[in-house]
Amino acid sequence: MNCCEFRERYSDFADGLLTPLSKAEADAHLALCAPCRRFDAALRAGVNLLRGLPSVGMSRGFGPSLRRRLRGELAVRMPGMIRWSGAFGTLLVVATAGFIGWDWLQTRAARRAARSEWASAAPGWAAAATPTNHAAAVHSGLPIDLPRLPLETFHPLNSILVVEQATPASGQERVRFDVPAVWGGP
Amino acid sequence: MTLAMKDAIHSPHRTLGAPFAALDDGQVVQAFLEGNDRAFDELVSRYQVRLLNFIYRTVGDRERAEDLVQEVFIRIYRHLHRFDQSKKFSTWAYTIASNLAKNELRNRSRNPLVLFQTIKRHWEADHRPLQFEDSSSRPDDLFRKRHLRELVEQSVSKLPEHHRVVFVLRELEGKTYEEIAEITGCNLGTVKSRLNRARNSFAAIIQPHLD
Repeated sequence: MNCCEFRERYSDFADGLLTPLSKAEADAHLALCAPCRRFDAALRAGVNLLRGLPSVGMSRGFGPSLRRRLRGELAVRMPGMIRWSGAFGTLLVVATAGFIGWDWLQTRAARRAARSEWASAAPGWAAAATPTNHAAAVHSGLPIDLPRLPLETFHPLNSILVVEQATPASGQERVRFDVPAVWGGP
Repeated sequence: MTLAMKDAIHSPHRTLGAPFAALDDGQVVQAFLEGNDRAFDELVSRYQVRLLNFIYRTVGDRERAEDLVQEVFIRIYRHLHRFDQSKKFSTWAYTIASNLAKNELRNRSRNPLVLFQTIKRHWEADHRPLQFEDSSSRPDDLFRKRHLRELVEQSVSKLPEHHRVVFVLRELEGKTYEEIAEITGCNLGTVKSRLNRARNSFAAIIQPHLD
């Protein structure tokens, strides 16, 4: 091994990465070559000095300054969170509207089914609907005019419908209908 | 913002003691990602001095090095959720620090004013009052010691940028070749080659002063 080869492979030599044979060659060269010995000694001494340099510490201002910057970082992150929460809110509104629409359709279908079932199961009852959502029912010959009522009143899950209406005989009368559902819309 | 996150921001350097002392870096990172924001304090306390010394030895300007360490932690805070936990946290942190240090050196080479300010700061340091380093040593020993320290620091600062980063990572930070390759984004052969050249250059600069 000559000087050039030794310097080229110096890092491997210094880090102990040479094969045993190469290391023996390098050691032999070092024993015979004064310039390479000085080079090796200078590098090791320089590195030792470097490692012996006092460690640099953080200044007093480092902590408060980092805190300020982290606060700023959170402030930057917050609009992003708001943006995401806005998107989530929109999604929630759309989902709610969809559910309400789906429920309304289900309810309407159930009312129609209940009406037809009621009409066929109770021939004594007759219901007629007008396009303005008025209905009339006739029970045992007593004509009952159902006023315009909120749709909820006619929800198919309501099995009892109570209607107050004026009758010629007793004035105000409360009539109770045990019905599965009443026609509630066009 | 959670209460813990507020606490973490208001006291990033508080000694946390037991909760994280026994955990390795990966576990501390995991704790932070699971919502324990105080874990970030632990990462800061573990790495602030190491990163400061690494960047300082690379850029040669203490104040700027401290600014860059802050930037490293800001980036860690910002991107920790994207950190690949199968890798070492320290390597990732050093990669960020190394990139920032390289950018700093690149910007300096483009901006002579910054370079002048750095030189001026070093010049001013020569005129600082005498410090009592070791009262038991003789004055000529103190002088020689201080002279050698400055010499070593100057020798490192004279190395080319990409050699200097590799040299500092190996000789001061004790990183393996593989870690240096990952930090610098070079392959193993390049790392070995740069380190060998850096060592040769360093020895050539310092040898006349030590003989």
